[in-house]
Amino acid sequence: MLTADNITFRVGNKPLLVDVSVSFAPAKLHLIVGPNGAGKSTLIKVLARLLRPHAGRIEYGGIDVGQVSEAELARRRAVLSQAVEVAFPLTVRELVMMGRYPHFAGRPGPADEKIIDEVMAHFDVTEFSNRQYQTLSGGERQRVNFARVLAQLWVDGSSCRYLFLDEPLTFLDIRHQIDFMKKIREFAAAADVVTVGVVHDLNLAARFADHIVLLSEARIVASGTPSEVLTTERIHSVFGVNPTLVPSGDSGLHLIFD
Amino acid sequence: MTKQNRSRRVLLFALVVVTLLVLAASIRFGAIDFSTVEITRALVSLLPGHPEPTLDQRILLELRLPRAILCLLVGASLGVGGTLMQALFRNPIVEPGLVGTSSGAAFGAALFFVLGGVLHIGASLWSLPIAACAGGVVSTYLVFLLARSREDGRASIVMLLLTGLAVNALFMSAIGFLSYIARDPQARSITFWSLGTLSGASWKAVEIVTVSIIAGTLIALRYAKQLNALMIGEEEATYLGVNVNRLKWIILSVNVVIVAVATAFTGVISFVGLIVPHILRMIGGADNRFLIAGSALTGATLLTLADLIARLSVRPAELPIGIVTSAVGVPVFIFLLRRRQYVF
Amino acid sequence: MGGSQSKIILCLLCLFVANLFFGGCSRFHNAPKSSSDVRYVVISPVYNEIIWALGAQDKVVGVDLSTTYPPEVKNVQTVGYHRALSAEGILSLHPTEIIHDNNIGPPQVVQQLQQLNIPMKTFAARNDSFDGTKALIREMGAYLHKEARAEELCNTLATQRTASLEQVKQYADHPRVAVIHFGRASNVYLVVGKGGGGDGGGVSQMVELAGGEMAVENRDMQRMESPEIIAKANPDVILLTSYGYDRLGGSLDQIKGLPGVSTSNAARNNRIYRIEENVLNYFGPRSGENIAKVAAIIHQK
Repeated sequence: MLTADNITFRVGNKPLLVDVSVSFAPAKLHLIVGPNGAGKSTLIKVLARLLRPHAGRIEYGGIDVGQVSEAELARRRAVLSQAVEVAFPLTVRELVMMGRYPHFAGRPGPADEKIIDEVMAHFDVTEFSNRQYQTLSGGERQRVNFARVLAQLWVDGSSCRYLFLDEPLTFLDIRHQIDFMKKIREFAAAADVVTVGVVHDLNLAARFADHIVLLSEARIVASGTPSEVLTTERIHSVFGVNPTLVPSGDSGLHLIFD
Repeated sequence: MTKQNRSRRVLLFALVVVTLLVLAASIRFGAIDFSTVEITRALVSLLPGHPEPTLDQRILLELRLPRAILCLLVGASLGVGGTLMQALFRNPIVEPGLVGTSSGAAFGAALFFVLGGVLHIGASLWSLPIAACAGGVVSTYLVFLLARSREDGRASIVMLLLTGLAVNALFMSAIGFLSYIARDPQARSITFWSLGTLSGASWKAVEIVTVSIIAGTLIALRYAKQLNALMIGEEEATYLGVNVNRLKWIILSVNVVIVAVATAFTGVISFVGLIVPHILRMIGGADNRFLIAGSALTGATLLTLADLIARLSVRPAELPIGIVTSAVGVPVFIFLLRRRQYVF
Repeated sequence: MGGSQSKIILCLLCLFVANLFFGGCSRFHNAPKSSSDVRYVVISPVYNEIIWALGAQDKVVGVDLSTTYPPEVKNVQTVGYHRALSAEGILSLHPTEIIHDNNIGPPQVVQQLQQLNIPMKTFAARNDSFDGTKALIREMGAYLHKEARAEELCNTLATQRTASLEQVKQYADHPRVAVIHFGRASNVYLVVGKGGGGDGGGVSQMVELAGGEMAVENRDMQRMESPEIIAKANPDVILLTSYGYDRLGGSLDQIKGLPGVSTSNAARNNRIYRIEENVLNYFGPRSGENIAKVAAIIHQK
């Protein structure tokens, strides 16, 4: 369980998060949505402890995350970002292996190599093993990064693992976006994983999320299931657009915008 | 072991062999050429019970040998300094000189030349290197201090680069001012020091630089994995458990010490720190453990070759070594820039 | 990419280095040039000029870069610029003694030479005046066992000086002269001031003996960065020493481009002349006749 209590974060005088409190349960996919500038990215970074809040507490499984060391945290928490740029020639395998860095001191062991093999196979990037990362397309790169992130969170029998997704779909085409979301959902379903992500596309959120948090102007406006949160009035007041809601399949939801 | 790791090991081994060959050439050739027999005799004369060394043997033992070895060590220092800077700044066009270390060291030396004459400071062998080292440390610390953001005390890499540029400009104009007010002989010393030379090599210098390069390289190797993580970005590195701020301080300090100590004994030598990591990355990829070890060896080799050219081309006179490294470094650098295969 | 290309590069590098190493196996020490058992490396333009004038040049195996007179000196090996010497370079000539005028560097190299107990000699007399020059010639003559010749040189110096001063009397004017010298070590143009230049003010004295007046007041040599130095002085004549003059290709336009020169009387009347460093910059055996030479140059219209 990941809990955030009364989080406030400022840059200079401008508040980016005000009094944000929310809990994220394991085995579910939690997605944060909201208009530009709402504070979504900031919230993810605070939850992942890249940023320290000016007020409030974040707890991972009841333990104040401020007390945990960087190295220890890196073994249980990973973040998949929008894009990763590399300034030097790096092979795909070397990059994926970085996911294992928190887990070995000097050189990777045979166990680490095996994990890399498995994770690369899972994301279908084994054929890119010796290719330069910079020569890959956007979609291919994100698959590689996802492989790296998963390698970082590879199950080791210890406590809960935390996966954060900071707008990972931005540079992907529609096929890859859906493909990714499916894989993320698969991973999020594990009993000892807490998955929290930020997406822009409300339809994707509606389709894949178990729990949606709607942020606007540094505050939480609503938190609940997709149908609870994504109502016409709310979307209108927060995003300024008029959706038509169309139910689909098993308690699914489609939003159509004029 | 992966194919890449295997080829890196072969490469490092080959580099060791090349370095030793170049060292041998450096000991043999110069204004005076020594044959292998003469070198052996000179070394043997050091053993107790053998006759005192002749003048030629003393030249070999007291001038040539320390110079050849110091050249290796300084080359290694500059090479490793370059790799560390490029890893830290995530930018392949970066040199130790960019964070102010070289210009600070040069300023320290210039100050020593000018004030030393006025205040008659004890002209011991150490005064100059200490002054240069102090200058390098002050300028680098200044860069780091000025580059910190007011909010969270962190220093982003872009800020470091820009502040480094500004501080460099400051120190270079300070050196210009010192040259201006200096009396003629001192002004000449300043100019020659800025071009770099190994003619002042001594065993004491070898001792000190050995300590600095070995300690520096060992520390750097320990942080090689973290530097690798830094390649994918400061944020990503933090997510992988790296304390980025602390890493920056440590690597920057190591860089300052290594480069300032080397510069203190030889004057400013440019381009080695810039092109050595490039060459290595081209042939073996960007893993920092490989790069750090490889750049020590490659830097040593390249500087020794440059010194051979400096000593042989106009013998018995010598060219300042900075001229040779620039003359070779600039075309190599332009060539590297134009290779399409090498992706930045 | 990496693999095969890198192997080729390394192979080439190894071959090159191996060639250096093994190719030189049959070389021996540089053959000595002088047959006598005394071998001097002399690092000073005036000392060398005097040695040649005394006829003792067969003992000299090495000279410095700034020594340019007499022309035969070019046949002797040079050891480089006097403030950027290399210990090994000097020692490769196997000198029995290094003769210098206390103006050598860098300091580490001087220390290395002392450490190796290489004999170094400086003469006590300084050529900062005619009397000083005579004393120096006599001292060197005694040292090199050419006493008789030394006396001859001193007499010639005295007579030529008297003759030149007579000649100078014919000139009625006293032009204000600025002397511009190119300092090779600092890579800048320098202006020589009153009482300065060369060894102990040689330039200034020569100009005054030749019937001129030093236009720039300050002692010693200054950099030409500020145009005010020359502009304020407003010389009637500008002399450029040889190296600096040749460096600008002898082009009057380029010379007028130096800071402050273009507005001066000298520039307007095109009274800008070249003069050999070894004629003006130091007092030596030929300084007697050089006075007349300098006078001829500065008084021409």
